[in-house]
Amino acid sequence: MADRVMKVNAFTTFDLLDASVEGHGFEEEAFATLNVRTAREAPEAISLELELDNTELESVPPHADRVTLSAAEARTLATELQSAADRVAAAEDE
Amino acid sequence: MPSKVERWKDETYGMEVRDHLLRFAEEGWDAIPEDEHDAWFERFKWWGLYHQRKGQESYFMMRIGTPMGRMTPEQLRTVGEVAEEYATGPVENPEFGDAYADFTTRQSIQLHWIKVEDIADIWDELESVGLSTIQACGDSWRNIVGSPVAGRDADELIDVWPIVQELHETFKGNDLYSNLPRKWKVAMTGDRRGSGQGDINDLAFEPAVKEIDGEEVEGFNVNVGGGLARKEPRFARDIDVFCRPENATDVAAGLSALFRDYGDREDRFNARIKFLVDEWGPEKVRSVLQEEYVDYELPTAGEGLRSEYDYNAGRADSTGDYIGVYDQQDGQNFVGLSVLVGRMAAEDVIELADLAEEYGSEMIGLTQRQNVIVGDVADDDLDDFLAEDLLDEHSPDPHPFMRGSIACTGTEYCSLSIVETKNRMVRYGRWLRDNVPVPEGVEDFHIHLSGCTASCAQPQIADISLRGMKTRKDGDAVEAFDVGLGGGLGENPTFADWVKMRVPADEVPGYIANLLETYEAERAGPEESFRDFVADRDEDELAALADSEETSYEDPYLGNTKMTWYPYAEETAMDASPAPTDGRGEPLPSDD
Repeated sequence: MADRVMKVNAFTTFDLLDASVEGHGFEEEAFATLNVRTAREAPEAISLELELDNTELESVPPHADRVTLSAAEARTLATELQSAADRVAAAEDE
Repeated sequence: MPSKVERWKDETYGMEVRDHLLRFAEEGWDAIPEDEHDAWFERFKWWGLYHQRKGQESYFMMRIGTPMGRMTPEQLRTVGEVAEEYATGPVENPEFGDAYADFTTRQSIQLHWIKVEDIADIWDELESVGLSTIQACGDSWRNIVGSPVAGRDADELIDVWPIVQELHETFKGNDLYSNLPRKWKVAMTGDRRGSGQGDINDLAFEPAVKEIDGEEVEGFNVNVGGGLARKEPRFARDIDVFCRPENATDVAAGLSALFRDYGDREDRFNARIKFLVDEWGPEKVRSVLQEEYVDYELPTAGEGLRSEYDYNAGRADSTGDYIGVYDQQDGQNFVGLSVLVGRMAAEDVIELADLAEEYGSEMIGLTQRQNVIVGDVADDDLDDFLAEDLLDEHSPDPHPFMRGSIACTGTEYCSLSIVETKNRMVRYGRWLRDNVPVPEGVEDFHIHLSGCTASCAQPQIADISLRGMKTRKDGDAVEAFDVGLGGGLGENPTFADWVKMRVPADEVPGYIANLLETYEAERAGPEESFRDFVADRDEDELAALADSEETSYEDPYLGNTKMTWYPYAEETAMDASPAPTDGRGEPLPSDD
């Protein structure tokens, strides 16, 4: 089996998330790691990396996905996540 | 642009850090400016001090570098005494008590709970017997590894001890090589066992013979760019250079200067020389070494001894460690003792030093498998030595499941780890010993347990590789391991195949039991080693070898130990920590 692509340590944002992969004619679930990264020096962008456990997947080869966000894009994402979290929390309180 | 660490190093690094540490020792923890912690902690590493993790502020791990793991009994006793006096924390470890020393995979010693206020006194004690913490960590020449029994081992090619001493003297405290782009790990092997484990080092001298001008010369082949970290494992690459023993210092100087000058100082993740070897290829490393750093013509590589290597090689025909009784060249014996996960209580360290002295030993050796060797035991004394009480605990003939385990520091002290390691591995070993039949013919079985992907327990080169992860069980997040199989060094080094992900920590012993049952039932015979058994199977077959399952094994550390201030405290919550403390261990007032 292939090793993980992403490193995982105490600084990883999430080492245990529920995830799924969907394509035409397939859908599989697996645990995943998700990490937010910036360069240590003079960061210009934010990387958001996601890797599903490859031992659980048959439809895609072992890999990690990465999106690169500008500071403004990261803030937009954070704002949307914040408001979505508020909605979920409010629903839980009802 | 040079990295932040490079800028800190440009300001202050190397020998001069010692004076600053002595000043902080005098003035106390509070004298280290809080906004400069990261910079100072980075610099302290050069003098062997690592700040412990969150919740343990003001406490340090101290590493003492012992070349090839060699010490005199007097030096070992001093280590035990320093551990007893200074390496005690606010809470005892339930398996190891309140004071202990860790023997590491690079043949060094690590002590924990060290307070900066004690540094001067500790250095005085260590240095009075010739021990030092210099360059034990940080971006420079680290502790040189190799066989501790060089010059004693009955069947070696070259006694490398004088050469290693020369390298140690030349490159410790040497301003020319004190600030490298990253760590620089060197292994020198002169035996037929491959016990230097050069394949996983930045620079490896491997024993070889070469015919030069009609004469057979004994020396070394030179390999460069091995290492396991950063999820980018590499075996050291052959640069086609043979090196006579008298040229070893020149070649080592040349290669570490090449690394100093050409290594990547902009991206620490890309800084180790293994990445430069990736980029250049071994041929260019050789040609640049020849043209710019060495003033004699480098011979091409000689004939190595790899086919004889058995150290951590997973062979069925020999054990892969130094445990047991072995012949010395002088007719005496050296005795290898098992130290489970490399951790020995301080009182045992002192007792071992006393015993060694009593039996006339002049050499204690720490091995890369985290065990300890006592040299120079005479034939006439051997039975008495083997009957000593201490050898019940640290045995020369341990149960196979108590013999082959390596574990890193883990969440007990380390900032990177995501799982508890050493105490868990001890519990795994005991449970396996008490519950799992040993397959016929198996004498040592190597399980390497690492707390994260940083690979400090060398998880890629073991029969069973365990690497910390998390999973969910009964709705709760629990500590878990990715599982790899079939790695090892030897004639044909291979990295483990990763076959399972996120096995809950309490189901790992059941998995290993099932795996060994399958191995014994399906192997070609006792002559087929576990490693060969794994090598003969494809991915799907390996994944299907065994299932994990709960057993009578109980795991007290299943929860998220990373979130505790100390996993074994009665009150584990981060805010229950007494740290930071002053020089007497009393909590300092918080700024909040």
